[in-house]
Amino acid sequence: MAVREEIRGCVILTNLHYAVEDHSWANVNDDGTVTIGMTDVAQNMAGSILHAKTKKVGVVRAKGRPIATVESSKWVGPVKTPVSGEIIAVNEEVAKDAEIINRSPYQKGWLVKLKPTNLDAEIAEMLTGDSAVQAYRDKIEKEDLKTCAHVEGFED
Amino acid sequence: MALDLTGRQYKDVPFEEKEKLFAEIKEDIRFEDYLYGCYECGICVAACPSARFYEFSPRVIAQAVAREDEDLVYTLMNDSIWDCSQCFSCDRCPRKNSPGGLITIMREVAVRHGLQTARDALEGYGRIIYKIMSTGTQVSPDMLQPDAFPDWGGHVQEISDNLDVWRRALPPETLHTTETGWAINDKTIIELYLIWHMTGVMDMIKEVDEGLFMILQDVMEERLEEAGYEETFD
Repeated sequence: MAVREEIRGCVILTNLHYAVEDHSWANVNDDGTVTIGMTDVAQNMAGSILHAKTKKVGVVRAKGRPIATVESSKWVGPVKTPVSGEIIAVNEEVAKDAEIINRSPYQKGWLVKLKPTNLDAEIAEMLTGDSAVQAYRDKIEKEDLKTCAHVEGFED
Repeated sequence: MALDLTGRQYKDVPFEEKEKLFAEIKEDIRFEDYLYGCYECGICVAACPSARFYEFSPRVIAQAVAREDEDLVYTLMNDSIWDCSQCFSCDRCPRKNSPGGLITIMREVAVRHGLQTARDALEGYGRIIYKIMSTGTQVSPDMLQPDAFPDWGGHVQEISDNLDVWRRALPPETLHTTETGWAINDKTIIELYLIWHMTGVMDMIKEVDEGLFMILQDVMEERLEEAGYEETFD
């Protein structure tokens, strides 16, 4: 069950797996696929997101390679996949309305679904539960990241 | 922090490293046209807008380079060259020095070697670099967002909400764009990407911003492949 934690207003859900350094999350679905997205901290650092372009279905990506390019008014950067695999689905909604990532980074703002090729080893390198919360707290404090501001209609 | 002109500020950096960077500045093909000698008239400082507002002096740059003071040049490469606005007002030097030109070379060396201060100075320009390098146009209309331009007042909200309509009201069809400054021809884009490839610009980007490098690499390699080129940026 998801437990909701807040650090400086930023929401962390303890049931997800996190690559804290890259600000990405992964969720292992029942069918063995993995859903990837940006964390609440990442959407807050980017600011109002204007464009999010995901890679196409069928693209095979190694861990650490970009699965999406995200543009806000003054920032652009990659979302790196924490898990290697083939992209089997992309969220069409983010192409139409990228701000959905600001509104719902963990639900409606997911980016891609992957069919993983090395899941056990790579998911073990990610953090989940209390250790994810602690690592994110350390990072936020060390880098003095700004308090998360949520747009109207924000959902965890 | 005050600019330290003693040359001792980066004493932890090995002298060989400073020597290497200085040699690279001197090897630049433009170097011999940018520095002849300085008789300290101060005309460059008097003309320099940055000297009025920052602890910055084009004369210090020209003299440190002329004296071949590697320690001080290294300090300036970290703590001074990013204060220059590259307006080249200093080119009015009666000895025909170009402190602004020297700074251009020093910045390029700083970027090539990924100096932390170069990364810091360029951090805020990521999206602009992305736009220029991926599309060939710099400022895009959709940069006009309320959170990026709060000083524009409430009007910017209305502009950004109806950007597409505003753009379509412009007579030339090539300006009916929101993501780029104008519509860009396919042939131009391919030529542009080949220029980045041949000139090693992507290697510089890789040194200062790996994330930016990754997304540019993706965009460019995909488009080049579609056009029948095999060039990669790895």
